Amino acid sequence: MNTRFSRQSFLGEHSPETLAHSRIGIIGLGGGGSHIAQQLAYLGVGHFVLYDDDRIEDSNLNRLVGGTARDVPLRTLKTTIARRTIKQVNPTAKVVEFPTLWQHDALRLRHCDVIFGCVDSYSAREQIERTCRRFLIPYIDIGMDVTESPIGCVISGQLIVSIPGSLCMRCVGFLNEDLLTQEAARYGAAGARPQVIWPNGILASLAIGSFVQLVTPWHRECSDMIYLEYDGNTQMVCPSNRLKYLTDKICHHFSSRTDLGDPFWPTGV
Amino acid sequence: MKISFKITAKLLAQIHHDLSHPHPFAAERIGFVQCQVAALHGKRLLILAHEFHPIEDADYLNDPAVGAMMGPAAIRKALQIAYAAPMCMFHVHRHDHRGDPWFSHIDLTENQKFVPDFWHVQPKFPHGAIVLSFDSMAGLAWIPSKRTPIRISEFSIVGSPMRFLGVRQ
Repeated sequence: MNTRFSRQSFLGEHSPETLAHSRIGIIGLGGGGSHIAQQLAYLGVGHFVLYDDDRIEDSNLNRLVGGTARDVPLRTLKTTIARRTIKQVNPTAKVVEFPTLWQHDALRLRHCDVIFGCVDSYSAREQIERTCRRFLIPYIDIGMDVTESPIGCVISGQLIVSIPGSLCMRCVGFLNEDLLTQEAARYGAAGARPQVIWPNGILASLAIGSFVQLVTPWHRECSDMIYLEYDGNTQMVCPSNRLKYLTDKICHHFSSRTDLGDPFWPTGV
Repeated sequence: MKISFKITAKLLAQIHHDLSHPHPFAAERIGFVQCQVAALHGKRLLILAHEFHPIEDADYLNDPAVGAMMGPAAIRKALQIAYAAPMCMFHVHRHDHRGDPWFSHIDLTENQKFVPDFWHVQPKFPHGAIVLSFDSMAGLAWIPSKRTPIRISEFSIVGSPMRFLGVRQ
């Protein structure tokens, strides 16, 4: 008898099959995405589509799950490290690697059931969410930041689950034109941003919990929009206050027929 | 060719709500789901449900031999919707039971008559028919390059929680 998933049987009788058939896209396999890939493999997810055009370097070894000192001189691709991590846990998993920008080869993403975004910029998030809405794919986003303040450094982060048919990241105020414009004006001047392993781990674990509740729920309190804020100084995670002040529960940003499907159809089939 | 169909849980709930509403004489209700389409890798096709268009009460024919029969006005209006926007049209009705549904012989015969008519107005798009039960769904799609309909292999109901139906491949 296979007891591999016996300790997670509370996820439902059919949860091993559900997870084994799940097709998951992960965009960004750095500090956050590498945690997510590993946890999904432990859960028993069977199909992965991995995107990252970056290679490991010495400064990644403080947080890249699966990355080793031997990888650094070899400049191993981050997708390859994630693939290796997944396969070590779950040798039967099907893993497709794209060591490129996801926009360059996005056809495989369209077939994913859920996409995780572990990217650094607002514009990258905006593009991923737009694509997810186009193909009716739930999008789970995580991100963290360290900023300086008069009291010292402040660690903060967020988890957002954006489900087609429900509120989007613009609806909840996480994305807006001002932020995107300001970011575009700073393009190329960002420099190296502080990143550490434990906030990535916390946010990745929150993302995995949201994913499991989405595909094989273990309780009945399902939410169409999750927006959690992480305060890394107090070690607290709370629903964003922005959700309290939303008066409109309908997304008007992705409601047009032109927001859906293949933008280049008809190709003829 | 493998065909997948996705619909948001909200749109599916809206369809069930409308189909549950009694008609003055028809035993069941029908409508059309307007859909977009996307190519997937490996000669797969993804149909994405966008909007439900119920058949108006006055556009049913009183035919006791079947659960519901569309009149010419219903077909004409559906063709007009398809003509106005480059999209797919899927006929939808429900069999009131739980578990996996499938089309009756009459459903299959009628579908074969009217679904290909949508190619007169949108020749490059697939069109088809969906049959719902209370908790499941099934469907057929006619694609322009084939004359015979293809069974939709998997359905994803996108919401919280997600639901997956059919053969996952």
